[in-house]
Amino acid sequence: MTETSSLGALFRRWKRRLPVSSEDEAAVVNLTWARKQFQRDAYLAREGEQAKVCTVLLQGFAYRQKIMSDGSRQIISFHIPGEFLDIQNCLLEVADHNVQALTRCLVAIVPKELLLQVMSARPAVRQAIWLDSLLDASVFREWVVNVGRRDARQRIAHLLCELALRMKAAGLGEGSMLDFPITQEQIADATGLTAVHTNRTLQALRRSGLITLTASKLTILDWDALAEAGDFSERYLHHSV
Amino acid sequence: MDAPHETALQLLARKLNLHHRLSDLDQQAILRLPHKIRRLEAQSYILREGDRPDRCGVLLEGYAFRHKLTGDGSRQILAINIPGEALDFQNLFLEEADHNVQMLTRGVIADVPREAIEDLVARHFEVGRAILISSLVEASIFREWVVNIGQRDSRSRIAHLLCEFAYRLNAQALHAGDIYELPITQEQLADATGLTPVHVNRVLQALQREGLIERDRRMIRFPNWERMRDVADFNPRYLHTAELAT
Repeated sequence: MTETSSLGALFRRWKRRLPVSSEDEAAVVNLTWARKQFQRDAYLAREGEQAKVCTVLLQGFAYRQKIMSDGSRQIISFHIPGEFLDIQNCLLEVADHNVQALTRCLVAIVPKELLLQVMSARPAVRQAIWLDSLLDASVFREWVVNVGRRDARQRIAHLLCELALRMKAAGLGEGSMLDFPITQEQIADATGLTAVHTNRTLQALRRSGLITLTASKLTILDWDALAEAGDFSERYLHHSV
Repeated sequence: MDAPHETALQLLARKLNLHHRLSDLDQQAILRLPHKIRRLEAQSYILREGDRPDRCGVLLEGYAFRHKLTGDGSRQILAINIPGEALDFQNLFLEEADHNVQMLTRGVIADVPREAIEDLVARHFEVGRAILISSLVEASIFREWVVNIGQRDSRSRIAHLLCEFAYRLNAQALHAGDIYELPITQEQLADATGLTPVHVNRVLQALQREGLIERDRRMIRFPNWERMRDVADFNPRYLHTAELAT
């Protein structure tokens, strides 16, 4: 099996950070799991549901979001292959947000009881999952700063920097060009801006020669200038990229 | 520094037990953690971004807050911590602090060596699980703050923060009655909600005029909790206190 079709996808990230052994990898890869395809926009999990499984993204892009009582949506994270979409579900009883497919995606669904068993038997796996959840939290903190204290240009530039670094680390994209299936409306929902404002800001970033953005490709023309425009420092990613 | 006290970490044991039931043995192991008690003035730093802490502070008295500074020096408050909460469990695995932690009021913290926590977690699996769960709940609260600032208008935003604070104090049984001590300035409230202090002042006055809050110095009361919850669009699901381990 290739990395993108098994739970081995998790180890690509974990190995960079932690002393996981081949026995640890075997214990995870041999877990009983189900493969499932989702169409674009399909819901993988809904807020309020009992959480009985954990999901690892194998192919495609997904995002987490919450919907306000007035119907407006806030995207709280984007996900790329090799990441857990709902790590909190292995230990919390009820889902506190929605998970949606951004593109067509393939996921591995693991019953949470099985994952808990591996975590109790294998300290390195427990540590890896723990670390993942702490990294998640650090990214959420940075997003609070992004929507709370940065202007539109900084917010969007910051988001692009984060996604570019994470995708590169995951081996998605060559050089400065990246797969970028995220729509302007989704960028708006992730940054707390309107679609019109987002469109104008992206155009300005283009005009300044920092990026080009076509249907599904993002090219970063000047990384230093984009990082500067986004007030971006990668400390909060804790060398995970 | 005061000598360790055998019941000082009782609040931490209670907090961890809130989401994941711990045995007496596990709880005693928490109480036996070596620690040093420190009294801190308001505004003192407990942790600075970039630090590599070798200890973990547990808040015993008073309130603390987490924040980050942007490149142009503006501040975003990320969380308000209440007694019983550990202030840097994330640094068990993340070497370098990615934000600042500062006292909001005067207070008392217990510093526990990081090694002692690592050792506890290795020997008491369920304590590790409880610490992980508390980190997951914290992450859920950060997500809700992204939503709060990203989508709610200034009135709901401030009301939401006030509801959350009261609800968490109640859940941890740190509170009796319907009057809460809220020792946060309007400037800090602005930094927690991504607003200006002037805007915060206007919203607080409006909430007061509508009879949704009553304030007296550092104290706050919610005369109509149901309506306050509606205005705040507050659903406590993200605090995960309804699903207590039984």
